Amino acid sequence: MTDAAIEAKDLSFSYGNLKAVDGVSFSIASGEILGFLGPNGAGKSTTIKMLIGQLVPEDGTITILGMDPRHDKESIQARMGVCFEEKNLYESMTGEENLRFFASLFGIKSPDAQELLSRVGLADRGDDRVSKYSKGMRQRLMMARALVNQPDVLFLDEPTDGLDPASAQSIRNLILKESDRGAAILLTTHDMHEADELSDRVAFINEGKLHAVDTPENLKMQHGKRSVKVRVREEGDVSERIVELDDASAGEQLKAAVSSAGLLTIHTEEASLENIFIEMTGRRLQG
Amino acid sequence: MSRPVTRTQVIAAMVKKDLAEYGRDRLWAFLTVLVLIFVIAIFWVLPNDVDESIDVGVQGISDPGVLVALETSEEGLTLVPFSSEDELRAVVAGEKRALLISEETIVIGSDVDPPEGARATDISIGLVFPEDFFSSAAAGIQTDVTVYIDGAVPEEIESAMSSVIRELAFAVSGSELPVSAPDETFVVLGEDRVGNQTTARDAFRPIFVFLILLMEMFVMASLIAKEIQDRTVSAVLVTPATTGDVLAAKGIAGAVSGMVQAVIVLVAINALGNEPLLILTFMLLGAVMVSGTAMIAGSSGKDFISTLFYGMAFMIPLMIPAFGALFPGTSSLWIRALPSYPLVDGLIEVTTYGGGWAETLPQLGALLGWCIALFALGWMILRRKVQSL
Repeated sequence: MTDAAIEAKDLSFSYGNLKAVDGVSFSIASGEILGFLGPNGAGKSTTIKMLIGQLVPEDGTITILGMDPRHDKESIQARMGVCFEEKNLYESMTGEENLRFFASLFGIKSPDAQELLSRVGLADRGDDRVSKYSKGMRQRLMMARALVNQPDVLFLDEPTDGLDPASAQSIRNLILKESDRGAAILLTTHDMHEADELSDRVAFINEGKLHAVDTPENLKMQHGKRSVKVRVREEGDVSERIVELDDASAGEQLKAAVSSAGLLTIHTEEASLENIFIEMTGRRLQG
Repeated sequence: MSRPVTRTQVIAAMVKKDLAEYGRDRLWAFLTVLVLIFVIAIFWVLPNDVDESIDVGVQGISDPGVLVALETSEEGLTLVPFSSEDELRAVVAGEKRALLISEETIVIGSDVDPPEGARATDISIGLVFPEDFFSSAAAGIQTDVTVYIDGAVPEEIESAMSSVIRELAFAVSGSELPVSAPDETFVVLGEDRVGNQTTARDAFRPIFVFLILLMEMFVMASLIAKEIQDRTVSAVLVTPATTGDVLAAKGIAGAVSGMVQAVIVLVAINALGNEPLLILTFMLLGAVMVSGTAMIAGSSGKDFISTLFYGMAFMIPLMIPAFGALFPGTSSLWIRALPSYPLVDGLIEVTTYGGGWAETLPQLGALLGWCIALFALGWMILRRKVQSL
């Protein structure tokens, strides 16, 4: 028995001779958001497909909400929400009809479709057919669909892809609210800032193997520099100074910089998730 | 919060969604209504009477009174007297033509222009009576009558000619006599109905009903292909719905929409008068069968055009028995092996000839077999396709 809402142990899967996922293990607690980061073809989608029951792992075990998908698939799916990367909505139906149909598959006879549509900013477009929706509106409806059964576990594959900044932020807020509600969330994204903002922990996957699973802060601490870059203007010239935080005089140096009249900027030298990923895998996340 | 959902609820929700999608697909909705109107309108425009008579050449009976008496007793039969067996044989073989001028028969070459006022005949059967036919028949002595039959004439016509000869002999002697008929045999679709000809409406009725089912196959194949291409089925399968539920819903939606349209047509063309339950059973099995083929076509097509192509690949062979029923004698044994044959044959038997459960049991059995086989095959192929997404 485990406390994790989602637990994967030594998952492996191959497409022919290509090992798409190779011994991947991680867990996600209730209310936790795990950012799943990796470039295209790294094994993210294959891992998600195994977790949501679309693929059967060659090796390893999956436990979701304390249940084994091989034996309790329907019970798990009743408490699961999935937001796919592909916009797989019924185009000839309205937004509200899409939500009502999927709610009926969960046995929900009277879903509050209007409330769901409001949460994703589509309250006034619920009666329009999906074929008339923009890419961003479809993405938001996909998110609403994933929440139709108030899931305990959520799998979100690029949920803000194609959205304008305001819509993307509203979806991020929604994800945080679902996390606060207690849902365990697996989030894949190419947006490092989004992963940093939303994820309690991030997992780096490349060529089917997991390279790290930790909090963004820990990763930055482990892989970034413990230093601060200070820019000051002195007698008309701008100069930069690096203050090493492990130096015994670091406190004094920073105190002097902050009290200086010519202080322009102070930046920490911590690494970004993108940089850490490159350092660990030798690959960029995008492209 | 969600509650435990039953299989029935899930399937019912998906059937409802499939039917709603069908209704909203403008192309298929338009084509469906168009075909329904077309079929019903064409049916009522078709003639509802029989205008079918057979010209039969006769040699060896010189008494015109006998010929008139025979014509009167055999409805739809026109007897054309010949003076020479060779001429009659040449006409039946198509080497020469026979014309009637004032009740007199003249025989001319195929390349000769007919004289004015002559009525052309269409003789593909010739009866040659021996000179001693009447005396032998009267004495109760067996004799041979030669029957020349063109190769395109159905086998059953030959039997009908035997009946004519037997009737004539019986009239003369009061006893039967054997008849030899040296000619090739021919296979016809279903039971030929010599002396019991059908009207054009009767002949087309099963075709029209079957056409509706085939239209249904295209619609279902298109919906299935769209569900696969748009990957909406992937979204459905991460809910408590199973692959089996999806397949069952497709089958039910296809059968229901096919049945509803078929019943509209059956009512509109007045075809539910005899054994309505039996007809509906045939239609239900037919609808399930075409749903199976729709699953195969829908799984195979990658876009609208390829789905249409696969749909046509099924439609053409399935239509053959229906059109074959229009032209008895032009079909062959292999047509009986087609899945749609028992459906068309059964519908003809019930709607045209008033057959009941007992008469159509073989067709029902064969149709049930095909229905199970095609639906199972469609289920298997669609299941594999869905699981591969």
